[in-house]
Amino acid sequence: MSTQTKIEPKRITDISVPSEQLGHVDPQDLMPLPPPYDKIEELPGFKALTEQQRNDVEATFDDTICVGVPKPKSKEEEEKLVAAFLKGLEKLFSKENNWTFLEPLVLSMEHCARCQTCVDDCPIYEASGYNEVYRPTFRSEVLRRLYFKYIKPGNPLFKKFQHGDIELNWTLLSRLLESSYRCTLCRRCAQSCPIGVDNGLIAREIRKIFSSEMGLTQKDLHEKGTVQQLKIGSSTGMNALAVKDNVEFIDEDMTERTGIKVETKWDVEGADVLLLHNAGEFIAWPENPGCFALLLDAAGISWTLSSEIAGYDGVNYGLFYDDVQLAKVAMRHFEIAKKLKVKKIVMGECGHESKALGVIADRVAQGVPRETAMTLIRDIVFSGKIKLDPSKNDFPVTLHDPCNLVRSMGVVEPQREVLRYIAPRFREMEPHGVRNYCCGGGSGFAIMSQYNFMDWRLQIAGRKKFKQILDAFANEDPGPETKKYVCAPCSNCKGQFRDLFDYYGAKEKSGLYYGGLVELVVNAMVDIEGEFLDWDMM
Amino acid sequence: MTVFHLLVYLSLLVFLAAVIARVVRIARMPIHLRWELYPVPHEKGRASYGGSTLEEVDWWTKPRQVDRIGELAAMIPEMLFLKGLWEHNRPMWFGSFALHFGLYLLIGELALLVLSGLLFIAGVAGGILDILLSLILILAWVGCILGIIGTIIMFYKRLADRKLRLHTNASHFFNLLLLGAIYLTGLLWVASDSSYAANVSAFFVGWMSLSAMPALPAIGYWHIGCVLLFFVYFPFTHMTHAFIKWFTYHDVRWEDQPNLPEGKMQAEIEKLESQIVTWAAPHVNADGRKTWVDIVSETGEEKKEK
Repeated sequence: MSTQTKIEPKRITDISVPSEQLGHVDPQDLMPLPPPYDKIEELPGFKALTEQQRNDVEATFDDTICVGVPKPKSKEEEEKLVAAFLKGLEKLFSKENNWTFLEPLVLSMEHCARCQTCVDDCPIYEASGYNEVYRPTFRSEVLRRLYFKYIKPGNPLFKKFQHGDIELNWTLLSRLLESSYRCTLCRRCAQSCPIGVDNGLIAREIRKIFSSEMGLTQKDLHEKGTVQQLKIGSSTGMNALAVKDNVEFIDEDMTERTGIKVETKWDVEGADVLLLHNAGEFIAWPENPGCFALLLDAAGISWTLSSEIAGYDGVNYGLFYDDVQLAKVAMRHFEIAKKLKVKKIVMGECGHESKALGVIADRVAQGVPRETAMTLIRDIVFSGKIKLDPSKNDFPVTLHDPCNLVRSMGVVEPQREVLRYIAPRFREMEPHGVRNYCCGGGSGFAIMSQYNFMDWRLQIAGRKKFKQILDAFANEDPGPETKKYVCAPCSNCKGQFRDLFDYYGAKEKSGLYYGGLVELVVNAMVDIEGEFLDWDMM
Repeated sequence: MTVFHLLVYLSLLVFLAAVIARVVRIARMPIHLRWELYPVPHEKGRASYGGSTLEEVDWWTKPRQVDRIGELAAMIPEMLFLKGLWEHNRPMWFGSFALHFGLYLLIGELALLVLSGLLFIAGVAGGILDILLSLILILAWVGCILGIIGTIIMFYKRLADRKLRLHTNASHFFNLLLLGAIYLTGLLWVASDSSYAANVSAFFVGWMSLSAMPALPAIGYWHIGCVLLFFVYFPFTHMTHAFIKWFTYHDVRWEDQPNLPEGKMQAEIEKLESQIVTWAAPHVNADGRKTWVDIVSETGEEKKEK
């Protein structure tokens, strides 16, 4: 982080006032981490933005850039953008354009008591040392004032008296857009609101105005994400040919490592289960789809993958920023399942995929029945069809609860039942279950690393979770000799843990490793000689 | 009927009309995408840890069990005792609880005054009315004292707590002052008028039967004036969270109704999806004629490589 003096906005209205930077985090203010991560000078620094970057794109919100909107070239261009935003704001509160979230949004806009009960529940606000620009109510309050000023009918003076005023200009908008990408949409704050106001939803809806009306999107979510997924087949950029190649290699590797023939099925019409992984697994964590293939075969389940466009990639980044993209991806998944005439879709170890397809898409169309992999894995483990020896998992294990799977879907126990059975040294993090903390990679952050955003998401967004993990293993030998496994049944969360552990050198210093749930199940299989987990490769 | 009668009825009318309009507006909003947040207290056998039906294999083949008692068990402590605030913001609970509970007691007093007025008009006299008058007096005393304590604490917190101060508007102080004025004038009236219960009850009888109202002490008029102002003001403020909470909980947070083939929800959704979308971003590809379903059915996929 730069060495400039701390900038603390005093009022909501400061967001409209042009300045070099609205907020700044001093490393000294960050929430302390336990040893050996407590010495700031020994930790990786926070790269400062270059002059070039600051000249090219809007970068006046804080020390980092996530979206990177090019600077308008003239006052007229700024005015056009402001006018476009106002049109978008109007559409956001119309049932024609936004029936999808109108009621929850209006309820959150009109009834907040500004009691700030929610703020201490935000891991980003806490980890930043309670920096005002990351207070979860900060961006909400800006949108709320704009809503009352420009949308909600009523006497302007009364509205100003009730809700305060705000000046709408491009400075405000460029900062509001960036600010909407400083929230992981984990909705922990919403859980503690006594009234039911949802700052996570508000952050998402801000992203939506910019995306759906102005075409201002975060590239990893949009161009490289949903657009690429719908065009080529996957947000990873893999087409069907590439994914089949990868899977062939995975099958061979799994067969070699386990001594059990693994053969992935493709496009099997009439299969009971269409397994839909986050395609990131095929590249970054190939053993995960490999273990699924092995387990489903061992349990005698009729299953298939799909090689259709988007049929082998369950991600749905639309969930994080744009309803149109969300619905397009979900419709595609439904079409594929219907075409294959499968009985159900099982969503792999991916939290946001599970929520998007399992819950949100429920009201996009009446699709094929869906369930999460957690229930299927539990059923396989307790079916008796696979012999398991828990002593093979004789190392400390803790469980990370993906927000989308747990807080937003209520899928809490199946994964725990499995771990309590197959991992004798399993322990919970505190707090856990529906009160968990986000990994810090939520809402797509885990795939974002442009400019210096990775520094921000690892030092601030993921800080609370990192501390929580260290605390969970506090009663173990703190060094690397004792290998400690963080079970994260979510691709997005695994991406964040990969970067987090690399950044802090947690594998070398503390013996922290991460992986999915199926890998632990396969590691406990009696039929596999020795250890399946390859710690050196993790 | 006097001007004073009219004023009271008019305030009530504004209150009721504005509250009903707000409720109807929210209730008529379209069904939205699922956005529940766990724990959902009607999840039978699972609410204690935040689990859901989705933990079951083939959950759609099993009967949906909704525990309404569980919902009530979550809602009542929240409404009466601000359980959420107790759990998540204890330092604010003490002031907020006193402020809110004081108001609940005064609402209780109002209800008893209406009841006693009705009984009086119906010709009931003696025992039951005496009991009601005693209860009215107790509620007024306790409600006003609690309310004053709550107002002072909340006012102080809004001023002194930096976290709150940065997000406090002029209206927050006005709201507290108005509530404080109701409690203070109420307390002064109760404390200074040995016939408080009889007087306030007679006032209600006069108001409800459109007959003469008793002469009240000056503080009584101040108190009634503050209450009437609150009636007119309240429906236009965020304080409506008092009853809108029903929607934030039942329509959003706990709303987990699945869209099953045999249900009626799909028809409602299809109606919404047939609306014309006008989002202007290029990727939406709206042309002023395309509906929501037209737009989301376009994928722009490339030809699949074999």
